Amino acid sequence: MPTRAERTGSPDVSPILAAATTPSHQRPARAASRSASSLRRLWSGIWRLWFFAVVLVAWWVLSADSTSTFFPPLRNIVGRLYDLWIAGDARTNAWSSLQHFAIGYALAGLFGVGVGALLWKFARVGRAVSPVLYFVYVIPTAALLPAIMAIMGIGGSMQITIIVLAAVWPTMLNTLDGMRGIDPIKLDTARVMHMSALRTVRTVVLPGAMPQIMAGLRHSLQIGVIMMVVSELVASESGIGFFILEAQQRFAITDMWTGIIILALIGSVLTFLFVAVERVVLAWYIGARAVEKKG
Amino acid sequence: MTRRPRTAQRTPETHVTARPARSAPSNVLDSRWFMVAARVLVVLMVLGGWQYVAVSGVLGKDAFPTMTGTLAELARQLGSHDLWLAVWATVRGWALGVLIGGSLAIIVGTLLGLNRFAYLSVIPVVEFVKTVPVIAILPLAIVVWGATLQMKVFLVAFGVFWPLTIQVIYGVRAVDPVVRDTAVVLRLRGLRKFVGVTLPSAAPFIATGLRVAAAVGLILAVIAELIGGAPGLGLSILTSVNAGPSRLPATYAFILVTGVAGVIVTSSFAFLEQRLLHWHESQRNLASKAA
Repeated sequence: MPTRAERTGSPDVSPILAAATTPSHQRPARAASRSASSLRRLWSGIWRLWFFAVVLVAWWVLSADSTSTFFPPLRNIVGRLYDLWIAGDARTNAWSSLQHFAIGYALAGLFGVGVGALLWKFARVGRAVSPVLYFVYVIPTAALLPAIMAIMGIGGSMQITIIVLAAVWPTMLNTLDGMRGIDPIKLDTARVMHMSALRTVRTVVLPGAMPQIMAGLRHSLQIGVIMMVVSELVASESGIGFFILEAQQRFAITDMWTGIIILALIGSVLTFLFVAVERVVLAWYIGARAVEKKG
Repeated sequence: MTRRPRTAQRTPETHVTARPARSAPSNVLDSRWFMVAARVLVVLMVLGGWQYVAVSGVLGKDAFPTMTGTLAELARQLGSHDLWLAVWATVRGWALGVLIGGSLAIIVGTLLGLNRFAYLSVIPVVEFVKTVPVIAILPLAIVVWGATLQMKVFLVAFGVFWPLTIQVIYGVRAVDPVVRDTAVVLRLRGLRKFVGVTLPSAAPFIATGLRVAAAVGLILAVIAELIGGAPGLGLSILTSVNAGPSRLPATYAFILVTGVAGVIVTSSFAFLEQRLLHWHESQRNLASKAA
């Protein structure tokens, strides 16, 4: 039977919704039926991956006798993947890339939220500065790459700088937007109730702006991953981008494909991790929106 | 003799938004002219700071051209042939890529969104590919097409297609339940339902998706030129970087032009969106933030 979530097309929030709307004395009974239905959902989720499996099988079969240099057989790619990345030591590339990314993304997130909050708090400063910020935001950061290289040379700090420079804008602007979008009645109510600044931030501002802040952080994640690779494609001695580029220059196309697949896996794992964190942080919001949508 | 009741005065509506009449703000700091002056001041401070950093050599002697030098070079370039050729090459690749990727995404997304089984089956694949950084495809594209327009168009179209498809699918499926039930009651089916119910509901999602796609497309076009070597603004930046520190003002002039191109693209799409969807403005804030 289609869940309420499936009927409305909204994200599958039935466990969260059930937890949020069940009165506590009914929880144990609900929990038992919930685990049965979650098992059912898992099974139907696996079934839905049929198309995914078909695509993979089709790729394998269609490329099996391929003699083209650019699209080697999937079997060869998988074989090389094992040789290089699982048995071999190409993993160090992945680790160094991820290290730079982690530092860059953390800095960008902290800086973005902090400065965005400041620009919201001091609204006049925010309004005066926003045209310049907006201009720098839309400069394709790849265009700034040569400038950054000229200042910082080649190396880890250059890559981290690029990632921070590119990833800070979505978070900053979304934080600013999110805080501006808080219902002013709520802020006035907090003032009337004589809530301290800290308490207002903790209970009104942050939760109110959090959905948009998370959207900004998600966009920053995608940009950060792209910049991590771009900075390695241009000037680096290690990292995934460097691995892919070097394989391409050696015309080792199969190795290049393994790099591409590993990069794809890293990108999707990072995004899925982010979505999992988002589901936890925004659980109350997702539940409230689902109720609102159903009417 | 009865008098005809006077019809309510119609306030003239501007196309974009109706501005409420504003009384004079109490604080001079909030007045309009102060805001404009503050913004101009900030821009001047940034330019002045740039000049200072360049002249004093704080960040390295030859790393920065002076602001005056860059602006002079920019003025010179605006008159020359090369800059406009490069701009045209970039815009051409970007426009073709967004057009191809965008129309494919709208078609595929609509078809998938209308059929529930198709949508549920294909979504995992599309969501997975969407998380793949498009950059991963760049070396492959270079190997297959070389440093050409086709490579750029492919990269832009590939990067634009996946997120836009998801947006279109969500838009087609996000019909307000009341509207949907009304359509059922009124027995709207087929093309009439599509044009009258589905399309307008999907419009804000598609508009947001296209705006983001345009911006992403420009970034990908510049990356394809900068790293792949396809002709365009990115390539101009690359060649002037490789020409050494003497051409540094030209490098920064090109970067500024790229920035201006980005501003023009983003603001024109935002403007178009506001114009075309003015009737939908109230619903946009609710539903279409999830991009």
